[in-house]
Amino acid sequence: MKHIFDKYKREIVVFLATIVMGMIFTAMNPNFLSWNNILTVFQKMVLNGVLAAGIMFTIITAGIDLSIGCTFAITGIAVAMCCVNGVPPILAIVVGLLIGVVAGAFNGFLVTNLKLQPFIATLGTMSLYRGIAYVVTGGTPVTNVPDSFRNIFNGKMFMGIRYYVLVMIVVFVIAHIILSKTRTGDNLYAVGGNEEAANLSGVNVFKTKYIAYIVCGVCASIAGMIMLASLGSAEATAGLTYETDAIAAAAIGGTAMAGGRGTALGTFIGAFMLAVLKVGMVVINVDSFWQYVVTGIIIIVASYFEFIKADFEAMLARRKNA
Amino acid sequence: MGKAVEFIKINKYFPGVHVLKDVSFSVEEGEVHALLGENGAGKSTILNILHGVYSEYEGTVKLHGETVHFMHPNDAIRDGKISKVHQETMVVEELTVGQNVTLGYEPKKGLFVDFNKMHKDVDEILSELNCNFKSRDIVRTLTAGQKQMIAIAKALYHHSTIISLDEPTASLTQKETEALFAVIEKLKKSGVTILYVSHHLEEIFQICDRATVLRDGEFITQLNVKETTREEMIHAMVGRSVASVADRLKPSPATDEVVLKVENLSNGKDFNDISFELHRGEILGFFGLIGAGRSEVMRTIIGADQKIGGKMYLMGKEITGRWNTTKALKNRIGLLPEDRKTQGFMNQFSNIDNISISSLDKYMSGPFLDEGKKKKNAERFFEEMDINPKKPDYLTKNMSGGNQQKVILARWMSADTDIIIFDEPTKGVDVAAKAEIYRLMEELVAEGKSLIVISSELPEAMGISDRLIVMSEGHISAELTDREKFDTDEILDYAIGGK
Repeated sequence: MKHIFDKYKREIVVFLATIVMGMIFTAMNPNFLSWNNILTVFQKMVLNGVLAAGIMFTIITAGIDLSIGCTFAITGIAVAMCCVNGVPPILAIVVGLLIGVVAGAFNGFLVTNLKLQPFIATLGTMSLYRGIAYVVTGGTPVTNVPDSFRNIFNGKMFMGIRYYVLVMIVVFVIAHIILSKTRTGDNLYAVGGNEEAANLSGVNVFKTKYIAYIVCGVCASIAGMIMLASLGSAEATAGLTYETDAIAAAAIGGTAMAGGRGTALGTFIGAFMLAVLKVGMVVINVDSFWQYVVTGIIIIVASYFEFIKADFEAMLARRKNA
Repeated sequence: MGKAVEFIKINKYFPGVHVLKDVSFSVEEGEVHALLGENGAGKSTILNILHGVYSEYEGTVKLHGETVHFMHPNDAIRDGKISKVHQETMVVEELTVGQNVTLGYEPKKGLFVDFNKMHKDVDEILSELNCNFKSRDIVRTLTAGQKQMIAIAKALYHHSTIISLDEPTASLTQKETEALFAVIEKLKKSGVTILYVSHHLEEIFQICDRATVLRDGEFITQLNVKETTREEMIHAMVGRSVASVADRLKPSPATDEVVLKVENLSNGKDFNDISFELHRGEILGFFGLIGAGRSEVMRTIIGADQKIGGKMYLMGKEITGRWNTTKALKNRIGLLPEDRKTQGFMNQFSNIDNISISSLDKYMSGPFLDEGKKKKNAERFFEEMDINPKKPDYLTKNMSGGNQQKVILARWMSADTDIIIFDEPTKGVDVAAKAEIYRLMEELVAEGKSLIVISSELPEAMGISDRLIVMSEGHISAELTDREKFDTDEILDYAIGGK
C-alpha cells in the first residue's frame, strides 16, 4: 500500500485537490453532484484528455508537439469529407487514424532525422498543417456529416454515457500499458531522462521518438474525430490553442517538461481537474473571464507542488535535527 | 604564522546520517593543505560548511582566529575572503572572461557596468596568473584548463586569502595541470592558503605541504606530506594497506581468438588510421593524454559516432551498413562511458531500471514487461558485484561513484555483452571501489569476455592491461604486447608523441 502511495504520490495529491474543489463547488451549488453534471464533466474532459494523453508521450521524450490542434482540425475535415462523399464510417475512421500517423511521423522525421528542436519543428508544422486545413476547405466548414458516423462516437451507451467517453478511457488504458508494461515505455522514459545515456545503452533513440510523435498524432486525430462526431461538422479553425490545455493537463498531472517523467494516470487526473474546474465555475456562475484567471492560478499552483513538497520535507528534516 | 582555518568539533547530520563526527583540525596560513579520504569520507561536506553552502552544523569554524558562521556562499566570498574552485568548472559559456570573473560584483559607473575597468582589472589578474587569454575573450572558446583559471582569477578578484580546489585537475591535460601547479605555488608564496582535494596521490606529493585524512566522517590523522610514503597515505585513507591496486591477481586467460578487429579506422577529425585487434579473454589497455582521441574511437566502434574510413570486423565478420548503438548491443558490444552522470545513467531511473534498460527482452511475460523479473535480475547483480547500499530500487544518481559504475557494468552483464569497453572506469572512484572494479574486470575475462580499458592513469593502465595501446593526437603511437616490459617513461614518451 505504501509502495503504491510512493509511486503515485503526485497523482493522489492532485486527485484529492480535485475532490476538494468538487466539494467546494457542491457546497456552493448542490447541483454540481447531479448525475447530469458529472456526465458533463466527463464529456468536457474527453477532447483535452485524449490530446493530453498524446502530447504526454512527446513531453516524456523531452520534446513537445504544438501541432496537435492542427492535426485535430485536418482529421476532422478529411473524415467529414469522406463521410459526406459516402465512404463507409469505419473506412473513414481508418483514414482519420492514418492522417494522425502521417502527421506524427512527419514531426518525428523533423526532430530525429533533421535534428530540429521539437518546439520549433512543431511550431512549423502547426502552421503548416493549419494551412493545409484552410487550403483544402477554402475556409468553409464541411457540414452534414451522416449519423452513421456520428453515432459511433456520439451515441449513448447507458445512463446517458456517450461512447466517446469510453474511447477516451481506452486511450488512457492503452497509454498506461505502453508506458508501464512495454519495452517501448522504458525506452521512452530513458530517452527523455538522458538521451545520450539511452543511446549508449543501445536504446534506439530514433525509433523511440518516432513512436512518441506518431502516438501523439494518432491521439490528435482520434480527438478530431470525436469533435466531428459531436458537432456534425468540421472546419479549419477547429482545435485552435487546444495544445495549451493539453500541455496544462499533462503538467498538472506530473509530466516533467524536461522529460523522463509522466504517467497516464497523472495526465488523466490533470485533464479531469481542469474539466471539474471549468464545469464547476459555470455551475456556480463565475464570470467566464474570471474562469481564465482561476484556471491560470490553478495551473501555476499545481506545477509548483513539487517545490512546495521539497520545501516541506526540508522543513521537517530541520525540525527533526534541531 | 597563524592558523588560516580551524574546525572545532564539527558535527553534521543529514536526514538519518551522521556525516561528520566531531571533526577538528586546523590549516596553517600560507600552506597547501590536502584533504584526503575515500568518497563519502566527508571531504566535500566539510568544504561545504567552510564555504557557507551548509549553514546548519554543530561546532565552531574559525578563520584567522575569528569565529565565523556563513549562511550563504556569497557571505563566505565577501566576508570570509574564501573562494572555491569546483571540480567541474562553473562558467557562463557565452559571456566574456571578465564578465565571468566579476559576475555579481561587476564594477559600476552609475547605473551601468564599467566594462573598461572590468577588463582592465581582470586582465591584470590574468597576467599575474600567466594566462594566455584576455578578459574580453568569450569563455566558450577556451579550453578546460583555461576555464579552471577563470575560477582562480575569480578568487583573486575577491581578494580571497583562502582558496579550496576540489579535484581541479579532473578535466585538465598534463600541461594544463603543470600550469595550474605553477599558479598554486605562486599563490602560496603570496600568502594564500590552499585547501586541495584530489584522488590523485601523485598530485598531493607534488604540491601539498600537509594533509588531513578523513574516513567515514571522522578525523583520522594529519600528515606531513614530505615525510610520508604513498603506502602510509593510502593506509590512513582506507584503513588497510593496498598494494598497487590495479595489479592483476590472477593469470591472464587471454586467447588468440580475435573477437574485434579494426582496420585503418578514421573519422576525419579526432583520429586517423586506427588499427588493432582485440582477443577473447584479454584486457586491452588504451593509454594516452586527454584529447588523444581514444574515447572517439570507442564511440565509433559502438556506433554512437560514424566513421568516414576504415573497416571493423566482429568475430571475423565485417560490419557493413549504417552502424548504431542498437546494432552494437545486438552484437554484444557495450561501453561504460567516462562521464557517468551525463552519459551513463538515467537520472530519474532506479538502479533496477538503469540495469535493465539494455536487456528488456529478457524480462517479458507474454507481451508485457515483468517488473518482478527486472527486480530479480538487479538483485542478483547487487549480490554478485556487492553493490552498496543493497537497494536496487534507489535512484542510481544517489549512489556513490564506484557503485554507479558497478550498476552500469551490471547493465552490460545483464545484456550478455561479450566485448565491454571501459572509458576511464575509475574516474572519481575511491581507492577501495577501484580495487573492486579491477577484480570484477578479472572475473569478466575469466568468463571469456574481452575488455578494452581506456585510462589516463598510468599505474592503472600498466597494472590492468594484458597489452597496451598508446595513442597520441589521434594516432596509435605504440602497441606494447608484453606486460612484463611495460615501462613508465617509455609509455609516457609515446603518449606525448616524443617517439
